[in-house]
Amino acid sequence: MKSVTLDVNGKVFCLDVPDGELLIETLRDRLGLLGTKYSCLEGDCGVCTVLADGKNVLSCLMLTVEAEGRKITTIEGLAQESLHPIQQAFIDEGAVQCGFCTPGMILAAKSLLDSCPLPTKEEIAHALDGNLCRCTGYVRIIDAVLSAAQKMKKTP
Amino acid sequence: MPILKDFHYHAPAGVDEALGILRKSEKSLVLAGGTFVLNTLKKTTVYPTDVIGLRKIAQLHGIRDTAKETAIGSMTTLAEVVSSPVIREHFMVLADAAARVATTPLRHMATLGGNVASRFFWVDLPAVLMALGGKAAWSGVKTKKTLTIEDFLVLTGREAKGILTEIVLPKSGLTGVYFRHTQSIEVDVPIVAMAFAARRQAGAAKDVRCIVNTTLSRPVRLAGTASYFETKKIEEWRAEEAAEALRGDLQQSKLDGYRLHCLCADLESLIDKFKQT
Repeated sequence: MKSVTLDVNGKVFCLDVPDGELLIETLRDRLGLLGTKYSCLEGDCGVCTVLADGKNVLSCLMLTVEAEGRKITTIEGLAQESLHPIQQAFIDEGAVQCGFCTPGMILAAKSLLDSCPLPTKEEIAHALDGNLCRCTGYVRIIDAVLSAAQKMKKTP
Repeated sequence: MPILKDFHYHAPAGVDEALGILRKSEKSLVLAGGTFVLNTLKKTTVYPTDVIGLRKIAQLHGIRDTAKETAIGSMTTLAEVVSSPVIREHFMVLADAAARVATTPLRHMATLGGNVASRFFWVDLPAVLMALGGKAAWSGVKTKKTLTIEDFLVLTGREAKGILTEIVLPKSGLTGVYFRHTQSIEVDVPIVAMAFAARRQAGAAKDVRCIVNTTLSRPVRLAGTASYFETKKIEEWRAEEAAEALRGDLQQSKLDGYRLHCLCADLESLIDKFKQT
């Protein structure tokens, strides 16, 4: 066991975890943050995406002990008083069907827009290449990210 | 039920401390970005007792640039390689190749050192580093030495136990190109790839390196193909002649017709590109 101090969604958690515990297990099973999903567990699908220091990474491929010292953001940490503009854009553009991939998609989009505020469609598709969606065909997801970028530009 | 069986995780602060743990432990594993190692642990029956995380070793992070060479710390992520102004200025082919590895979140996690030290046949970057004349700074449990990428890739057994600390690239003024082909979509692992680098001089190409990643074995250096490009002026290069040299180089490689076809098409693109620039 290791004692770790994790910064998740701006809150500090002191936990004792097995050395081999993966971040996804800690987030879901210890902290109850169920927006981070289990699926392929091989880094292919992107539904376990979280932000580590603002970059989208895969919590199924990160040990909890290695998350210490990084600022981890899950989908639950994105909305403040109201939904984040990216979340709102996904609703407005109809970019959600079953919703299973949506948290990962939104966090990947957040990582992109933080470093590239006005991306092209191609840049969005490239940035979301690690997130699979079986329902939407991606068109509305890309439209939602474009729309969010415009809104975030107007209201920094 | 936990996804991984438990092990003892170590977070050394320096390379010597990491080597000390490696020497003591019989069943240890070195963890860089985690994208290979943690996936392997989910499937393997040969389980380590100790996992040595390199994340906290400051010496392994970052890019050091001098007039003659650029040293890339082994824990530099592929995303950092892609966005580094130094690498983009002097080794654009490496930035291009790194940008095409896997997917965005994996590039945020995976490291250059992990890509090379995994020694998987299908990874992209060893062929590119070979074409650029890269060297691997290796701190083994027995000795510290600097090896060519080819020599590093063939280390086995106790010789292969250690820490890859950095990749050193000489500034030789080489222009490079990298081609990769996948089974279906771009983010798949390659089924065949080719890295090419050469120095342009008075209408000819000097110091030509042509490396093929067959994905069936370690990267193969194509001496005959390189010689073809060196012995003719660039304007005299012909795709059919270069393809003949390539087929000669790869006679023993067991490459199927489709992979060979891909490589011959790459030679055509390569020739066009060099004639245009």
